[in-house]
Amino acid sequence: MIMMNWAIIIVPVFLLMGNKKFKPADIVKIKVPEIVVSAGKRAVIKMEVEIKKGYHIQANKVNDELLIPTIVKIDEDKNITTGRQKFPPAKKFKLEGTNNFLEVYDGVFEIRIPIKTKTKTPKGEHILDAKFHYQACDNRTCLFPKSIGFSIPLKII
Amino acid sequence: MKSILKSLVLISAAIFSIVAGAQEVQPMLGQTAPSFTLKALDGKTYSLEQFKGKYIVIHFAATWCPFCNAEAPYLQELSKSYRDKGVEVFIVDVKEDKELVQKSLTRFNFSFPVLLDEDGAVSTKYAPAGVQPDLARHEVPLASNLIIDKEGKIRFYSLLNTTAFDAKLTMLKEKLDSFLNSK
Repeated sequence: MIMMNWAIIIVPVFLLMGNKKFKPADIVKIKVPEIVVSAGKRAVIKMEVEIKKGYHIQANKVNDELLIPTIVKIDEDKNITTGRQKFPPAKKFKLEGTNNFLEVYDGVFEIRIPIKTKTKTPKGEHILDAKFHYQACDNRTCLFPKSIGFSIPLKII
Repeated sequence: MKSILKSLVLISAAIFSIVAGAQEVQPMLGQTAPSFTLKALDGKTYSLEQFKGKYIVIHFAATWCPFCNAEAPYLQELSKSYRDKGVEVFIVDVKEDKELVQKSLTRFNFSFPVLLDEDGAVSTKYAPAGVQPDLARHEVPLASNLIIDKEGKIRFYSLLNTTAFDAKLTMLKEKLDSFLNSK
């Protein structure tokens, strides 16, 4: 009976959490294939980002400090260090009726992140937790800035 | 002959799309504007009711919104040139804290009040029912412009349309002029 009561509380809470997370995931999808790397060696993470059709997000380098640039933040890890992220060139989005352009990404693009593992990194599966922060617009609205969490799977050999 | 016909079709399509864009149905027209009382960057509190008898232009904005920022200098210009005609301009900044708004908007040197809708409640009230139903309601009015008449009724409501973006507020000014000239 107690278990049932807990289920009644927990299930709706999870459903609500699921709904909250669904919207941003709808605009941005991230795929990161597993990287296989030897302990003590370097590798490059290639994350694929897909922006929902009709939307664009601000680029990593924006031409106005008020805009929200796209950034990737990777949680610190005692065995793995990350290097300078390489974003693709931005596309220009004209603000109709003005001479201004936005620097944006749309469609599918790749971000490359170099990593280096320490020699003493334990072998096996390893996950780096990361966040993708962006601000999206389509031709009808601009959405509030959002962060979505994702995982970078590594296999240390 | 074929190429002339083709050109005519293309030109007609372009004209149609411009006219269709301009004549887009605006939401909430004729409705009483939802009331609000908000604090502004200048420290004062403003309510819609206190401006009854004046035309009010409201722009919903956020500091990171590129379309809002593109319109900002033209809003300032509009405020200056229409103030003597009995028009009050406000920005309603949505869901941002005072310090950020204060710091970010300094560059625009606004001479009109920037109201702080810190919890998004006012923006939510102005989200037209059925428009962008999958969005959080406070997100819907962002970058929109409204004209509220002397009786507190919504007379103009342009939601963001980036394909026919009117940064210079040409349509809004035309509407204002027509209201002011018809009194």
